[in-house]
Amino acid sequence: MARKKTGSPPRFAFLRSPLVRWLLIGLALALSLGLLLFTLFLVKLDGEVRTRFAGVRWVLPAQVYAAPLEVYPGAPLNLERLRHELDRLGYRAGDELAGPGTYIAAKDSLRVDARAFTFWDAAQPEQRVEVRGGEQGIDSLRLMGSDQAVDLLRFDPMLIGSIYPSHSGEDRVLVKLSEVPPLLPQTLLVEDHDFYGHGGVSLRGILRAAFANLRAGHSVQGASTITQQLIKNLFLTNERTLKRKITEASMSVLLERHVSKDEILEAYLNEVNLGQDGPRAVHGFGLASQFYFNKPLNELQPHEIAMLVAIVKGPSQFNPRRAVKLVTERRNLVLKMMSEAGDITPDEYQLAIQQPLGVASGPGGGAARYPAFVDLVRRQLAGLYQEQDLTSEGLRIFTTLDPSIQETLENRISADVPELEKSRHMAEGTLEGAGVVTSVEGGEVLAVVGGRDTRYAGFNRAIDERRPIGSLAKPFTYLTALGQPERFNLQTPLDDTAIDVTLPNGQIWSPKNYDRQEHGGVPLYMALAKSYNLATVHLGLDVGINPVRKTFAAAGFDDVPEVPSIFLGAIDMSPLDVAQIYSTIAASGYRTPLLAIRAVLTKDGKPLDRYAFKLQQTLPAGPVYLLTWAMRKVIDLGTAHWATSVLPAGRVYAGKTGTTEDLRDSWFSGFGSDRVAVIWVGRDDNKPTGFEGATGALRIWGKLMRDLDAKGIEPLPPADVEELPVDPVSGLRADAGCTETMSEPYLRSAEPQQYAPCANQSKSTPSNWLQNIFK
Amino acid sequence: MSIVKAGFGRTLAAAAVFGLILSGCATEQGQGESSSVPVGGSGVPVPATGTGSVIPGAGTLIPPVVTPPAISQNYPKTIQDSSAGKAVLSLYKQAQDARAAGHADQAEALLERAQRIEAHNPFIWQALAGTKLELNKADQAEQFANRSNDLARGNPYIEAGNWRIIAAARQARGDAGGAMQAQARADEIARALSAD
Repeated sequence: MARKKTGSPPRFAFLRSPLVRWLLIGLALALSLGLLLFTLFLVKLDGEVRTRFAGVRWVLPAQVYAAPLEVYPGAPLNLERLRHELDRLGYRAGDELAGPGTYIAAKDSLRVDARAFTFWDAAQPEQRVEVRGGEQGIDSLRLMGSDQAVDLLRFDPMLIGSIYPSHSGEDRVLVKLSEVPPLLPQTLLVEDHDFYGHGGVSLRGILRAAFANLRAGHSVQGASTITQQLIKNLFLTNERTLKRKITEASMSVLLERHVSKDEILEAYLNEVNLGQDGPRAVHGFGLASQFYFNKPLNELQPHEIAMLVAIVKGPSQFNPRRAVKLVTERRNLVLKMMSEAGDITPDEYQLAIQQPLGVASGPGGGAARYPAFVDLVRRQLAGLYQEQDLTSEGLRIFTTLDPSIQETLENRISADVPELEKSRHMAEGTLEGAGVVTSVEGGEVLAVVGGRDTRYAGFNRAIDERRPIGSLAKPFTYLTALGQPERFNLQTPLDDTAIDVTLPNGQIWSPKNYDRQEHGGVPLYMALAKSYNLATVHLGLDVGINPVRKTFAAAGFDDVPEVPSIFLGAIDMSPLDVAQIYSTIAASGYRTPLLAIRAVLTKDGKPLDRYAFKLQQTLPAGPVYLLTWAMRKVIDLGTAHWATSVLPAGRVYAGKTGTTEDLRDSWFSGFGSDRVAVIWVGRDDNKPTGFEGATGALRIWGKLMRDLDAKGIEPLPPADVEELPVDPVSGLRADAGCTETMSEPYLRSAEPQQYAPCANQSKSTPSNWLQNIFK
Repeated sequence: MSIVKAGFGRTLAAAAVFGLILSGCATEQGQGESSSVPVGGSGVPVPATGTGSVIPGAGTLIPPVVTPPAISQNYPKTIQDSSAGKAVLSLYKQAQDARAAGHADQAEALLERAQRIEAHNPFIWQALAGTKLELNKADQAEQFANRSNDLARGNPYIEAGNWRIIAAARQARGDAGGAMQAQARADEIARALSAD
């Protein structure tokens, strides 16, 4: 044996060959070096994974909320309207209260499980409340399961947008794993069911996928674990190279050494891309839930969860708003997996596959419903915060938007503008419109519409379209005059006769009345009500250009040129600018800078800033009261008389029509005691529309105020104003001797001294009072 | 023209003086300070409506044409006595509690909610004015108190409170003279009420 052993050529004799030996040594060295390099690579990668993951700061765009709905006995809404509001908030109607965000509607009651929410002033817990009422309104609220009355129920506000970074468009709503419905991770882990067992990479998964793909003949299953997908999304590109795959697998294994499974899963839930909305990328399930279903993630039903899981693989290919059939099929496949895994019962499965996708309508769903308003919010925020903070700190912005008022304004503009367009036989799409509604006290911007396509996030006419305001400017000339009570009151005759004004450049300006007539001596209030140009120019020249400019500035707009044509509205303003100056009149001369933001919280719900409305009396209350009286006459008997045909009888509103040269712009701005509304109608190419203020914008305004159920003005004369009986014929003071009188306000300091001829106390002869008028 | 150039404040001062000359009495107060005015020594507040009312004078007293009814009993003393709704009362109470606890900013937020529900409730405007004072916004305190006076419809209880706030606001701004005037106004109304 030994001989044989020694006799036979040694099995590894070739090893004795120096060449082979050198080769082997070389190989060993190379391997060691490779190993060393790989170790170094891993060490470097490990450091990178640790620092990068630790440094992962979610890009958390500021979330923008509408004003919350407040419900209380006597609130200005009925049960039907309340249901509508709850539907808008993504509350689900049913036969039982199945957790927050659900309600049961009956004829005279509505039981609701109101969601918890952290407001600026308090954190409000989830509450189950029964609201009783009917057609007329809300009668009472009661905490369910007790006799305890609820004075006021504030609902969670609607998420209406976010301030995401423009370079990446990355938008998300952060969720915690504990807040996620368990069905979601369960379903996500079907393809990575060893998630809690593997070390970042799953050999079994790779084998299973390879087998499945071989059997199918093409790629049907991926082998990537959740960890790998997270690594890829966070740190790597989409390229399909071996190097990328190795890096991904290595980083996954390394990540698992430092971070718990739950942390990885939570990060994945917040990182994964689930859709695109124009420039905005929808990241994470939290935002996707809002984006597609307009409600928080924890309220999603199995079929909705299944849909989100179904689109993870390719949200652009599987776009639920476009590829409805494809997504439904894929969703049903996911539901089948859920059922097979025992995560849902067969009954739930049957129910779920019959559901439509249930995706909220509109290109952006709830989150991009109000582009014009969010645009305004963005601008106001830009003056208050750094862009970096807005786009990444997860600030929660509470705004003044009233979704109900916004809806009313949108409905009016999108219905009436096309109708007006049709009435003038204009080509479809040529006529545009914009509008703003604000609160009278508090200066809150309640609704903004930037064009007839209310969802279009482009040119915002309510803010950016600055057009001449025409006769909307007149009240400020009249107010300037009424501020000189020793010279002007509502009955002061104005000279409505032709006039040539020499401009600084030597040109002659010869304004005309709209009806091309001259009306001679016209009482001041009537000249405004009938919007006479000549009387206004005479008045304006009498009081002076600069005093009128000062009045504008006091009302809240100081970019008024120093030319006489400002009396007739040669001032470029946006509907929002107009809302500002009319708000000051509506609020009895108190100027409140219009605000769209109420408060800002940090991402953890801690109060950061609040924007209390500010007040400054900049216009004198007495003259403003007189002016408002004259502006009421605009509707009672003047250019806006049409509005009385649609406005609720017995309610008093004040406003002014505005028309610009060649009928290019049609304006109406007016108010009651709680709302100011401004409507503009015109063309983007600035060509004539054929509409005056009264035939265009007023039509929308009147119906808008009706639909808003806007409160009428409750005349409350300031201390320096008194109402006196006046003889309508002479415009002089009346008493019991006059058969017909009207009540008219005067500043106490300048009550009319003359009595009308009909008055018992008349001491003046007719020739005297005529002389007085025309002196 | 010259009056307008000088601004509305002066216009009004001029207007007020003009009015006083007409009614034959002199005054130190401008317009817009009160919708109801107590008459000097008689101690009876007079509602602003009607031609018989008189702007309060530091000097001469003009008796009202018609003896006004004892009005104080008709005015609610507190918001609880007023026709305010339950929601507003609840918010108002929460706000008072917050103020008492030193959380004026929270009170301000609660009162703004109440104000959105009852925009013309002078008690809310007054409480907001008080809150502004606590938040060291003296200027805003005076503006809000003035607005409350505008909306008070002559309620002397509200007006007295507002004048006290205005006095404190002026004091805080270093306007001792103005503060004294406002305090005198508050005291005058208070005297009238206690005499009533």
